[in-house]
Amino acid sequence: MESIMKKISSIIFILIVLHLWGCEDPYTPSTSTSQQEIVVEGFVEAGEGALPVIVLVTRSIPFISTIGSDVFGDIFVRDAVVEVFDGTNTISLTQLCLSDIPEELREEAAQLLGLNVDSLSLDICIYADITNQINRKAGGRYDLTVQVDEKILTATTTIPQIVELTDFDFRVPPGIPIDSMAELWANISDPAGMPNYYRYFTATGDDPQLIAPFGSVFDDGFFDGMQNLPIPFPRAQRRGQDFNPDTFGLYQRGDSIRIKFCTIDFEHYDFWRTRDFAANSGGPFSSYTRISSNIKGGLGIWGGYAVTNYSLYVPPR
Amino acid sequence: MKNFIVLLTLMSATWLTGQKIYTISGYVKDASSGETLIGANVFRMDNPVQGTSTNTYGFFSLTLPEGKYKIGVSYLGFENVAYEIELNKDMTLNVSLREGIIIQEVVVSAEKDDRRKNVEGTQMGTLELPIENIKLIPAIFGEVDILKALQLLPGVLSSGEGNAGFYVRGGGPDQNLVVLDEALVYNAGHLLGFFSVFNADALKNTTLIKGSMPANYGGRLSSVLDIQMKEGNNKKYVVEGGVGLISSRLTVQGPVVKDKSSFIISGRRTYILDLVQPFLRGGRFEGTNYYFYDLNTKWNYTFSDKDRLYFSGYFGNDVLKFRQPTRDFAFDLPYGNRTGTLRWNHLFSNKMFMNVSAIYNDYRFQFNGSQNNFNFKLFSGVEDWNFKVDFEQYYSSKHTLKYGINYTYHTLTPNTASATDGDFDFRNDVSVKYANEGAVYFLDDIKFNDTWAMNTGLRVSAFQQVGPYKSKLSGEEFGTFEPVKTYMGWEPRWSINYKASENFSIKSGVAFTTQYLHLVSNSSSTLPADIWVPSTEVVKPQRGVQYALGFFKNFMDDTFESSFEIYYKDLYNQIDYADNYVNDINQDVEDAFVFGKGRAYGAEFFLKKSVGKLNGWIGYTLSRSERTFEDIEDGRWYPAVYDRTHDLSIVANYKPARKWDLSAVFIYGSGRLFTPVRGFFFIEQNINLFYGPRNSERLDAYHRLDLSATYTPQPDSKKRFKGSWSFSVYNAYNRRNPFFVNFETETNFETGTNSITGSKITIFPIIPSITYNFKWNQ
Repeated sequence: MESIMKKISSIIFILIVLHLWGCEDPYTPSTSTSQQEIVVEGFVEAGEGALPVIVLVTRSIPFISTIGSDVFGDIFVRDAVVEVFDGTNTISLTQLCLSDIPEELREEAAQLLGLNVDSLSLDICIYADITNQINRKAGGRYDLTVQVDEKILTATTTIPQIVELTDFDFRVPPGIPIDSMAELWANISDPAGMPNYYRYFTATGDDPQLIAPFGSVFDDGFFDGMQNLPIPFPRAQRRGQDFNPDTFGLYQRGDSIRIKFCTIDFEHYDFWRTRDFAANSGGPFSSYTRISSNIKGGLGIWGGYAVTNYSLYVPPR
Repeated sequence: MKNFIVLLTLMSATWLTGQKIYTISGYVKDASSGETLIGANVFRMDNPVQGTSTNTYGFFSLTLPEGKYKIGVSYLGFENVAYEIELNKDMTLNVSLREGIIIQEVVVSAEKDDRRKNVEGTQMGTLELPIENIKLIPAIFGEVDILKALQLLPGVLSSGEGNAGFYVRGGGPDQNLVVLDEALVYNAGHLLGFFSVFNADALKNTTLIKGSMPANYGGRLSSVLDIQMKEGNNKKYVVEGGVGLISSRLTVQGPVVKDKSSFIISGRRTYILDLVQPFLRGGRFEGTNYYFYDLNTKWNYTFSDKDRLYFSGYFGNDVLKFRQPTRDFAFDLPYGNRTGTLRWNHLFSNKMFMNVSAIYNDYRFQFNGSQNNFNFKLFSGVEDWNFKVDFEQYYSSKHTLKYGINYTYHTLTPNTASATDGDFDFRNDVSVKYANEGAVYFLDDIKFNDTWAMNTGLRVSAFQQVGPYKSKLSGEEFGTFEPVKTYMGWEPRWSINYKASENFSIKSGVAFTTQYLHLVSNSSSTLPADIWVPSTEVVKPQRGVQYALGFFKNFMDDTFESSFEIYYKDLYNQIDYADNYVNDINQDVEDAFVFGKGRAYGAEFFLKKSVGKLNGWIGYTLSRSERTFEDIEDGRWYPAVYDRTHDLSIVANYKPARKWDLSAVFIYGSGRLFTPVRGFFFIEQNINLFYGPRNSERLDAYHRLDLSATYTPQPDSKKRFKGSWSFSVYNAYNRRNPFFVNFETETNFETGTNSITGSKITIFPIIPSITYNFKWNQ
């Protein structure tokens, strides 16, 4: 909803700008300090089809105009010490770099780990619980420690209880009929009396990687405790892809799709919420938004997911 | 305190000298329209220090010892008049002044008395801008705008290019009290603030008080903008209007009962997007439109010399309609203010004036959207019922006392959202808040002698959050009107004038202020969706103290008025959003607030020439405004977004011939502050920006030249119908002033590269415009 208000401002603004033939001059910040932050992107999942624990440790990039594969390859931090405490044991994660894996297995490995196949040319390094020792369960609490040289970063997350979706329904989109496309709806039964936070991902036939939509998280502020409530799950689209207002969020009929639905805790929600808001903010009508982080000593997120996965077929009309 | 008042009364009473005293009182009006004139001077011609000026209703009362006097009455732009009177009893003097366009010399002398106020008035930092002067200043798209004209005065900054929002002496836009015929205007901007809601055709007078606020005003920390609407011509019918690029205006006024009662109705509406409707037809966004309109209306009735009744109203809306029939998606977004003021003036005696006002005002913001079976509604707003009684007591030509009482019942609706989808109803859990606000004040203005004068006031205010409400802190439930939390404010105000010589005075003042309603925006200006919130158990009142010292000098026989003022302000309980703020309608905005304090200081220089063919002013401000919040960067003091180091305005009007009025405005200011991007990082293979310290960089310095020319083909015509053309050029040398810095990130999937670009966006290039204005009278 917050994005709607923002969009309204933008629409009005665009109308003004169109009228006034606004113009641009390049801007380069005068204080592009070289100090780099360490960025953690790590997730711990529980539930059917949950991925193993994976932590990416990267460095932030100072303001430069283009990031090619050379820069991108250099941002991955190697030889960090990454440990997870699951309430009983402390497990050290193993560093895996694509260059360590035989070339013919890289694509498979990447898919298994949920990495973008496009990035295979880069020597991406990750830290993973390859032996699956971490006890991942709904209701669990997980402490992360990352040591890079002398610097120590810490974070804590929890995995909430699983909430499942039921009654998937492909509906005819409103407005001018489009026979080839459908809206996806599913029912949710929200646990009553406590705040719940959700995130979902979609994957379609022509883009098999699971991606989260622009507004990727929501809470139950509007529907706390409601049972069998149908809500829409618009198809996610990669950032930077062309936006078509007539087909946005719709699924191709005849396609096989996947939905990954997750419950998350507040800090995890707050990270994505501020991230999504920041991606839409800036401009003339809002000041900057600093992305919340639960990483002490760095940027990024250490997040727990209680996941359910669904493979669906979009029936022809 | 009581003894003090008695003492002042005794000091001012001339019976101490044994002489009898009598009072001359009455109203000063414009002879052609019957409009009362605010701030007209009434004075002893042989000793102008013994004088007074008319109040908001055009009333004056001057008490002098028995004797023969020559009493002068003057008002800017009108012919001076003088009356020989023998004062041996109380008398009534109703004065009608004629517009002084014929005898230039007389006008000069009339204006001169007005210019004396610069040196002689006790009030500091008070600026009056006559509407007629504002109309000559070049205006963007030819839309005359009082708020933009005020931004040309020292100490007043624009909240953004082309924007009607303003900052006064380092305070936020919510710290300005904007009142239209005593009714509060909560959102003074149309179209995201690019135009103000004030239609100049309907207005009579504008006063901005940025210094020591007199005690009859309260509720805001920074300034008072007091605007009075015209009452309507009570002699004859007049129709006037204008046709511009953006909007057109029409005003009708005339007598209801000649010399006793009159009305005015004034409207304005924009139409640019109406014109593009044919091009949208059949397209993806058919039916999408935006416009705004204003309607001002006023009616008054004079029952007798002792009793008058006024009713005034304002109604304005912005309407955005978005339609996307291809997806059955539509929303309407209307927002606007409504005010209604009913006032009764009563004279208890020729020395005691009373005004009773009953005022209603509201601001509403709505969003109504739908797609297929899904409907969504959002509403936020403020509604006030206000009742006030004010007394003015004129003891003598040297001593005036004002006192009054004021009560307001506030209803503040935060973002209440509701939605329906088939059989399901949704509602967010934020509750409406209710509050009582009250104040009593007294204000004493006294001239001790020809050298010393003093204005002393005290305002005692109280604010009480009342139920129905459920406490967030204790869970306790409060019933209707049951007090939840009460705050008090003791607000002394004091200013003193020491007249060192005939043409030079030194003034100093201190003002304590309290603000109970707050508006926090995460943009530089206020937006229609920004929400006013009350002081509650969570949010404390904002408090401020301002100290000011000024030097005022007139020279070359009052041709030039000048002033140099310095000020320092401490601001407590300041409110902002944390820098990870997200606009979440499920959250009560007060829960997203962080609290801190601020300080602002500066020096203002003002040089004005209001007479002659060439007139105008130069205003320069050097200032600083800073804030600190424990929850923002660990309490580091940082410059507020309202901070601008240098601000220079030069305004020049030149009348080369009877048919032409030429005008130019030049503005130079330090660039606006913003928070720079420090770098970026990847999450889920998407670029995310992270930022350096808050407000640690400035945009390029801002400068601009505007020009205008008004051509009146037949200025001396006696015809009923008269027309004039206004030509203006905004940003004449096409300076590319950056409006904001925009960052765009882009991912190229084919090359595997990401790019990020920063650009300075300029939105106001050179903009010429033309407006035709006309007037018909009976």
